[in-house]
Amino acid sequence: MASNTLHIAGRVAKQIIRDRRTLGMIIVVPLVVMTLIGLSFPDQGVLDYIAPAMLATLALFFSFLLTGISFLRERSQGTMERLMVSPVVRMNIVIGYLLGFFIFALTQTLIIVLFTIYVLGINFYGDLWQILVFQVIVITGAVTLGIFTSTFARNEFQMVQFIPLIIIPQIFLCGVIWPVEQMPDYLQWLSVVLPLTYAVDGLRDIMLYGANLYDVWLELVILAGFAVLTSVLASLTLRKGA
Amino acid sequence: MINCPTEIAIEVKNVSYNFNKIKAVDGLSLDIPAGISFGLLGPNGAGKTTLIRLIVGLLKPKSGNISLLGHSISRKTSHLIGYMPQLHSLYLELSVMDNLNFFASIYGLNNSKKRNQRVEEVIKLVDLWERRKDPVQNLSGGMRQRVSLACAIVHNPPLLLLDEPTVGLDPELRVTFWKYFASLNEQGTTIIISSHTMDDAAHCNQLAFIRQGKVIAQGIPLEIKQATGKTDSTLEDAFLYFIHREDKIDG
Repeated sequence: MASNTLHIAGRVAKQIIRDRRTLGMIIVVPLVVMTLIGLSFPDQGVLDYIAPAMLATLALFFSFLLTGISFLRERSQGTMERLMVSPVVRMNIVIGYLLGFFIFALTQTLIIVLFTIYVLGINFYGDLWQILVFQVIVITGAVTLGIFTSTFARNEFQMVQFIPLIIIPQIFLCGVIWPVEQMPDYLQWLSVVLPLTYAVDGLRDIMLYGANLYDVWLELVILAGFAVLTSVLASLTLRKGA
Repeated sequence: MINCPTEIAIEVKNVSYNFNKIKAVDGLSLDIPAGISFGLLGPNGAGKTTLIRLIVGLLKPKSGNISLLGHSISRKTSHLIGYMPQLHSLYLELSVMDNLNFFASIYGLNNSKKRNQRVEEVIKLVDLWERRKDPVQNLSGGMRQRVSLACAIVHNPPLLLLDEPTVGLDPELRVTFWKYFASLNEQGTTIIISSHTMDDAAHCNQLAFIRQGKVIAQGIPLEIKQATGKTDSTLEDAFLYFIHREDKIDG
């Protein structure tokens, strides 16, 4: 049963590798975005504040979108039907997708971190490995959220509509651009239930204040809880066909 | 592994399924003998695809039972089934070989030597050896259809359910497919084929005419033709005969 998870992970990874343009864009697009951010915020202090938040935001955005659309294609091309007739179980599919995307999402994270440190020159005090471990949890939640959300979309157009519904509000409400404390009380309460709040807080603590994973345990536990919740929801609601 | 203790491969008993208020399958019963090609014939929307999806376990009957080789449908029976959906249902970026390797793996062919051997065998069987490394997206519709069939048979299932497998195939390829189905029958594989063309019906050992989710006639093609009472009846004539008969019964 576990081997089927690995077979699915291997196939997902192979599909991305064979699609050279997607592979190239996974690497190039975040660099273009980070460059624009770097040019838009010449003030070093602002850039230091924004960069860790963008790291979390881009991981959430790309993992959510790529997984959601890949999963949707699995349904619309009919391959999901073949999988559901086979001995594969729903959790194999969810975890297989997760593992398949990890390598690309973490490579993307690594490239962005190195770019922000060495090209944009942010003040960085954390350990690289701790950032990667933290991002594993962020990406897990994003991938399973993408799978769960794709259940409610019947085509790519509908999937893309979930970006303004799920991703953009988090950018405004989770302290990416301005501190949560400066927002009205009712919006602060809303930010408490959004996962990006904890991803941004944790990464800022690690990157800017040299915190370790133990220091950000609360953020890690909340993000892990979110990942478990969305993976269970994703496997329960997995649809067989278009 | 599940043994095959019975001569009836698939037993469908009083099965019903509806999409909201539309009855797609309506109290349908069928006994499909093992080792033959069994055709589900009927117009579009007759309930053929729904019946196949019920048999492979993609849909759960609202009432009635289905058993495969004497066993109720469960995760354990998934190894018994080879399923070719109407869509090609393939990973387009991956090569023919990658697709087959993946489906062989998830059906438990984990020994790489045995798996490679089986994958090679199946690719040669569907005559795609020269194109084995090509991404599926670069293949023609007929070739994709062959890859789809190859994916359904790669784990050597005793039950093969093919949803309109000959749609879009040229006449030469159609003949090749039917020759291949006959050779699988000789090896003991039971094949259930849905189709709306009487050309396919002529190749089947047994047929069931389906209309509005019900079986209106079942038997070997010759018997079905003879049931019309005319010596020169075709299967089209027979199908129309049974439709009219049903309409009269329904008033």
